[in-house]
Amino acid sequence: MSPIPEQPSRRGFLNWFLGTSMGAMFLSVAYPVARYISPPDIPEAQTSRVVAARDGELKPNSGKIFRFGSLPGLLVRTSEGEYKAFAATCTHLNCTVQYKDDTRQIWCACHNGVYDLQGHNVSGPPPRPLEEYVVNVADGEIVVSRS
Amino acid sequence: MRIPNPAPVSVLIVLMSFITPPLRAEEPPSQPSGPLPTETSCFNCHSQLDGAALEPTVRAAEDIHFQKGLSCQDCHGGDPTAMDDMDASHNPKKGWTGKPDRLHIPEFCAKCHSDATFMKQFNPRARVDQLSEYRTSVHGQKNAKGDGEVAVCIDCHQVHGIRAISDPRSPVYPTNVAQTCAHCHADAKKMDPYGIPTNQLADYKTSVHFHAISVEGDLAAPTCNDCHGSHGAAPPGVDNVTSVCGTCHPREATLFRETEAKKKMDLSPCIRCMVCHSNHAVLAPKDDMLGVGTTSTCTGCHAEGDNGYAAAGKMAQSIETLKGGLAKANALLDQAERAGMEVSEDRFALQKAKDGLVESRVLAHSFDLDRFLAAANGGIAATDAGVVAAKKAFAELRFRRVGLGLSLLVILAVILALAMKVKELGARPRV
Amino acid sequence: MSVGGAGRLGRILDWLEERAGWSFLVDLGKKKQVPLHRHSLWYYLGGMTLFLFGLQVATGILLLLYYRASAEEAFESVQFIMAKVPFGWLIRSIHSWSANLLIFVLFVHMFSVFFMKAFRKPRELTWISGMCLLFLMLGFGFSGYLLPWNKLAFFATQVGTDIAGAVPVIGHFALRFLRGGEQVTGGTLTRFYGFHVAVLPALTTALVGLHLLLVQKHGMSVPPSIEAQRKAGGEEAKSMSFWPHFLLRDAIGWCAALGVLAALAALFPWELGEKADPFAPAPAGIRPEWYFGWMFQTLKYLPAHILGIEGELLGILGIGLAAMIWVFIPFLDRNPAPGNPVSRLFTLAGWLALAYMAVMTAMVYLPQGH
Repeated sequence: MSPIPEQPSRRGFLNWFLGTSMGAMFLSVAYPVARYISPPDIPEAQTSRVVAARDGELKPNSGKIFRFGSLPGLLVRTSEGEYKAFAATCTHLNCTVQYKDDTRQIWCACHNGVYDLQGHNVSGPPPRPLEEYVVNVADGEIVVSRS
Repeated sequence: MRIPNPAPVSVLIVLMSFITPPLRAEEPPSQPSGPLPTETSCFNCHSQLDGAALEPTVRAAEDIHFQKGLSCQDCHGGDPTAMDDMDASHNPKKGWTGKPDRLHIPEFCAKCHSDATFMKQFNPRARVDQLSEYRTSVHGQKNAKGDGEVAVCIDCHQVHGIRAISDPRSPVYPTNVAQTCAHCHADAKKMDPYGIPTNQLADYKTSVHFHAISVEGDLAAPTCNDCHGSHGAAPPGVDNVTSVCGTCHPREATLFRETEAKKKMDLSPCIRCMVCHSNHAVLAPKDDMLGVGTTSTCTGCHAEGDNGYAAAGKMAQSIETLKGGLAKANALLDQAERAGMEVSEDRFALQKAKDGLVESRVLAHSFDLDRFLAAANGGIAATDAGVVAAKKAFAELRFRRVGLGLSLLVILAVILALAMKVKELGARPRV
Repeated sequence: MSVGGAGRLGRILDWLEERAGWSFLVDLGKKKQVPLHRHSLWYYLGGMTLFLFGLQVATGILLLLYYRASAEEAFESVQFIMAKVPFGWLIRSIHSWSANLLIFVLFVHMFSVFFMKAFRKPRELTWISGMCLLFLMLGFGFSGYLLPWNKLAFFATQVGTDIAGAVPVIGHFALRFLRGGEQVTGGTLTRFYGFHVAVLPALTTALVGLHLLLVQKHGMSVPPSIEAQRKAGGEEAKSMSFWPHFLLRDAIGWCAALGVLAALAALFPWELGEKADPFAPAPAGIRPEWYFGWMFQTLKYLPAHILGIEGELLGILGIGLAAMIWVFIPFLDRNPAPGNPVSRLFTLAGWLALAYMAVMTAMVYLPQGH
């Protein structure tokens, strides 16, 4: 039996303090771990495949620039409805190319470089064709991946 | 059969060529006639001679005419079946014309090459206007006036071993054209009588066009004939330079024209591509060509005080700002990336700045300050956005420190509680 | 009797006691005595090493939820963890910093055991299992360093495995075994990953189990000088029970370590560097992690040839021999009593070894004059 009457309440306070602070520490560990384990917004690094568009977003005979890693890509829906994807960096001086629906070719505004829908450089200064990507349609998404 | 002694016969041939009347464009053979090229009496005899008489047979196998089934008699006439009989072979009644004189070689070749019906047999798309083009050229005009020194067909295409023009070993294959022209045009002895300079090949070799075609093998790049013409070779007229360069550089040519129309100016007297870029020594353009500095090409015509001078200065400044902004944004993003921040999205946005830079450089050819600044400022805005994005990444890094501070407080509380517990347990009797 | 204590928690603990009998652990803890003397502070190091290792296992398991062990994806996956996974930067930086802290504490633990002569009979096996654990931890460090597949790691691995290849007789096989081929490739990465997350952890679990069992069996060793002092002075051997006294103090140390690591992770996040390019030339100034630094520097200082034998080979053999001697110290320094001159020589040798390692490690980071 302790002679000092405050000691039990002091001990009680200490136990409470220890318990609470340890609980707080446990939370400050558990919170980051819990957020870490729950799946992030994108499931994996986007360097090898990316969702370029939703199915139906592009009308036939139109194109769209999408991001692939840190470089631009060009998604084209041909007039027959087929999807094609290329690296959108012009092989001449690295401008971003675009799809021209009147000539149905890929065109670079900087120096008038022209590529056909195979990615081949057909006119103007570009020395090499555009890299072509693989396109798959899955679950209503247009997925572009490196070949 | 006795084989004639070549020496007196050669002399006879030479003498005969002086008295043979000049050739006119004759009717070409309607189809390749006679025996196989290497089985003609011509080939048979001449391949056993030496010196100049042997020369026609040496590279016969490489000759495009031989490969198509044409042979000596199709150009020179005579009887290819008369084996070992020089007189019979060299029979004028059989059309033998001997060696044509240099001045008349264009007509000699045009005998076939200007005949569409004949050429169609071999290549349905062959051009047959080479002679008429030639007559418009400086070479052709002087040849018509009797100058035997200027180039004729065989000077570029060679003779008796003429390769197809698609053969990379042909002297008129794109990678070889400059050297072929330079045979005469880089030779001061040949050019002095005409007062033509001879530095063109040396200049051309310093150019990006030469590098593209000869080092990188890019046949799209121009060589002499792309700007000067092949058979109609002549320097482009002053007013035409823009069109000539614009064949491959249409955007720049269009930009001139658009500004001319908009500002109702005729820019061609003072702005021809070659004023800034040179004609033969076309070097890779640099940003310091724009502006008012010592290496600028603008100051060649513009002086301080005129509008052009001011505009050039503004353009150069704008480009420098854009480049500086791009470098700074990239450096900051690199730094953030190394610290572990993910910046690929920001780099993607920075592409706009790179596009703006290239676009501005092209728009310098419009000589229109407003258009130029529109592109440059778009790029500068993108670099500013890039810097903002990088700073956001660093802010996130700093945010982590705040979180750290809080968690350290919690840990300190735990340590304090544990220490107090330890002390308290020490005061109690040991179990 | 209520083992669990009062309240709801107590009832749950009682329930578990009837089925799992957990309270024997508490009894063990209470019975186990930790000697109290002026060198007692060193006793905390073993537990600290174990705590840091546990932290490595925990953060390592979290990392392998997102990491990809192929040359094409490893770097990007670590970047993904650092940038896109919430608190991924924290987990990864703690893992990298804690690895270094673990090895540092491990060396201090080893040297403290050495100088306190705790390896003497009957604890020889404890020492040997501990030395094996040290080698395993160095293996963890070497294999883990490559996993982000950045330029520095790629070349450091190349240099390190080259040195392994210089060992006579088995060297070339060892090099090929480590690299998974003749060169450092994606195959090396996958192999190192297998070592790092499966092989080494399995071996470590077994050895840690043995090590702890032996420590438990023999209790805490008291340095010979203290022992002699006590015998001479006739003073009572002071001690504290493991549970709750020693463990609570342990916990303070562990919390402090956690705080230090959190601070390091937030203030000095571990850099990712640039992705490895096997075809690029080696950058200047490649060096291994600091805990291999003294060996690396030794090899650098040796002349190319000594008495006709390659200097590097002699260096490797010399270091190997020194390591072997160190492992078998319990059988060489048999009677580490305070007055024993042989034992004092070993102590001196230990100080020289420590000084050598410290100086050599420092030399790695000083600017090179030549």
